[in-house]
Amino acid sequence: MSGGVDSSVAAAILVEQGYDVIGATMKLFCHGTDVPDRPCCSLDSVNDARRVCEQLGIPHYVLNLESRFSHDVVDNFVEEYARGRTPIPCVRCNTFTKFRDFLKKADGVDAQWIATGHYARIVNGELHRGVDANKDQTYFLWGIDRAVLQRMLLPVGDLDKPRTRALAHAMGLEVIADKAESQEICFVPDGDYMRILESRLPADAPALQPGPIMISNGAVIGEHGGFARYTVGQRRGVPGGFPQPMYVIAIRPETRTVVIGTRDELLGSGLIAREINWLAKRPPLGTQISVRVRHRASLARAEIVRIDGDELEIALDEPVSSITPGQSVVLYDGERVLGGGFIESARPRRTALPVLAA
Amino acid sequence: MPNPVYLDHAATTPVRDEVFEAMKPFYGPRFGNPSSTHRWGREARAALDEARERVGRCLGARPDEICFTSGGTEADNFAILGAWRALKAKGRHAIACTPIEHKAVLGAVHQAADEGAEERLLAMTKDGVVDRGSFDRLVDEQVAVCSMMWVNNEIGTVQPIPELAAKAKQRGAIFHTDAVQAFGKVQIDAQKQLFDLLTISGHKFGAPKGIGALFIRRGTELEPLLHGGTQDRGRRPGTENVAAAVGLARAAELTLAECEAHCARLQKLRDKLEAGIVEKVPDAVIHGRGAERAPHITNVSVPGTDSESLLMALDLRGIACSGGSACQSGSIDASHVLSAIGVRPDLASAAVRMSLGILTTDECIDRVIDVFPSLVAKARQLTTAQ
Repeated sequence: MSGGVDSSVAAAILVEQGYDVIGATMKLFCHGTDVPDRPCCSLDSVNDARRVCEQLGIPHYVLNLESRFSHDVVDNFVEEYARGRTPIPCVRCNTFTKFRDFLKKADGVDAQWIATGHYARIVNGELHRGVDANKDQTYFLWGIDRAVLQRMLLPVGDLDKPRTRALAHAMGLEVIADKAESQEICFVPDGDYMRILESRLPADAPALQPGPIMISNGAVIGEHGGFARYTVGQRRGVPGGFPQPMYVIAIRPETRTVVIGTRDELLGSGLIAREINWLAKRPPLGTQISVRVRHRASLARAEIVRIDGDELEIALDEPVSSITPGQSVVLYDGERVLGGGFIESARPRRTALPVLAA
Repeated sequence: MPNPVYLDHAATTPVRDEVFEAMKPFYGPRFGNPSSTHRWGREARAALDEARERVGRCLGARPDEICFTSGGTEADNFAILGAWRALKAKGRHAIACTPIEHKAVLGAVHQAADEGAEERLLAMTKDGVVDRGSFDRLVDEQVAVCSMMWVNNEIGTVQPIPELAAKAKQRGAIFHTDAVQAFGKVQIDAQKQLFDLLTISGHKFGAPKGIGALFIRRGTELEPLLHGGTQDRGRRPGTENVAAAVGLARAAELTLAECEAHCARLQKLRDKLEAGIVEKVPDAVIHGRGAERAPHITNVSVPGTDSESLLMALDLRGIACSGGSACQSGSIDASHVLSAIGVRPDLASAAVRMSLGILTTDECIDRVIDVFPSLVAKARQLTTAQ
């Protein structure tokens, strides 16, 4: 329970349905100055979660998963930027922290189910998108162990956000009912992820050094202050003076190069993903699916063209913008999540479709 | 569910009926402010004076040597910062304490360090007792204040306070002891023992939360923490909590009257608890077991488990224990006490403190001996399955 409206309402719904509910808040990181005697956590969130549990009449515990979260999520976040990629820590948090480490804590107290406030649904033991298309969070859930689906309860997946808030009011959870949505990465509350990189990477890390800004024909047109500041699709920090708006279209860490190009050059016709995880029976090659390549991006029609161990190649029916290494691709069959993976590379639009290798 | 088992008396104890009764008039007709000169004030003042005398008698102290505080933390802060600030002009710049002090002491010492003090942490034996050689080296003529807790709140080990106080006095240091866990468990007598300052806290022995006392030996200079009125000779301004002071006095008297029988009873129960756990979990480690310990605390680590999960599982079965020091958020961090006595990190983060007291019966112990090993077995199963 994060102290937010979704997990609070999720708990309240389960209490109402007669489950024996235990509230738990994960303590994942410490903010503020490092005074050994006074570790300061996201104290207000924890307090809100506790108040909700007090109101629901259920026990509340704070579980310290700081060191594992730091290892599995924050370290990876930093490494990914250092490699010129754009990480997606929420996926790894769900995969490793919430639905693995936290689940073990649940095992320790014989809790049969694990419930969260995610906007997603479990239907016949499979993961489906949440009813609220704007809030759907399956994009972040593809990496969890398939067996865990059998133990998941997602009580707000059948609701839309306004309904969740209305329920919070109706159930008297005024403490959290009108709380603002958290959009940031939880361990980067002010949005300044560079501060974390600078504190965790050596000062001479290539990702933090100046490097060339190049256009796609190879001409260098300027200098940047560290490629970690850039992500594919970004316009901020890109030099002007071109007839069309220019975007970051690639980052080449070997030469510390940030490549920029037009909106057209940002389009990709396919992608290769790794660390594939299946949440349903693995579909055969050639299966028509829909995919999402970024949180909140539209679903795109696609076809699976290659599966090679935990690597997967997808061809898109229509080109898609800003396919970014490090982000996730999630595969859907209708509402149903088939699986997902981390994007390794985009296939440029103009390349012809390869002959099926497998 | 069977009756809940409260094994966290070192955290706090219930207010005793006799204490509550003694306090009631001061929430009713005797509500006066002891500083007022009229009849209501006099009635309150009489009760406060009497409470001061009674607490003093319990410690072998004179009434003017008792300063009521809001509890242990304030008394510890007053002792250390008050003495340090009063003495720093006189050329003594160091503060010595053990690394196993309560955070109230460690935090106050850090604050003094921020104000220019040199912080000296003494070495401990692996059983949780001050290393005498380290004491002799570090407590020298530079030391303004020396603070050593009498009974450790996490593992129950007893420091040789009379001996250490005498040595510290020879070297001219002010000697403070945090006796929050010691009161009612060891013999305290300010007439025979040479400590200058001593902290007690009411809610550890049947008085309410929010009242404690600092014994201040006559002639000990302390700079007040608070500024304002002239209550308690200006040492502790603010209208006195008369009801709580009366409660503290009553609880202290009851505790001392029953001390011998109570300690013998707790010792027997604690021994049974430890024997029962070790019998079923032979590799359980009981911290400080080789040292003299107060009878009410046992702290046990089982390899392959972690405190957080065990405490949660115990709580869900109605058994209340505690771990290391709780962070503000309520999450549990590995104990600084166990780290300081050289306990391996994996064992330190598995520590469970059980503390016995007035609510503890044979049935409570039987139940823990039954439940704890089974939870341990389950936790280990999950660890090996990983």
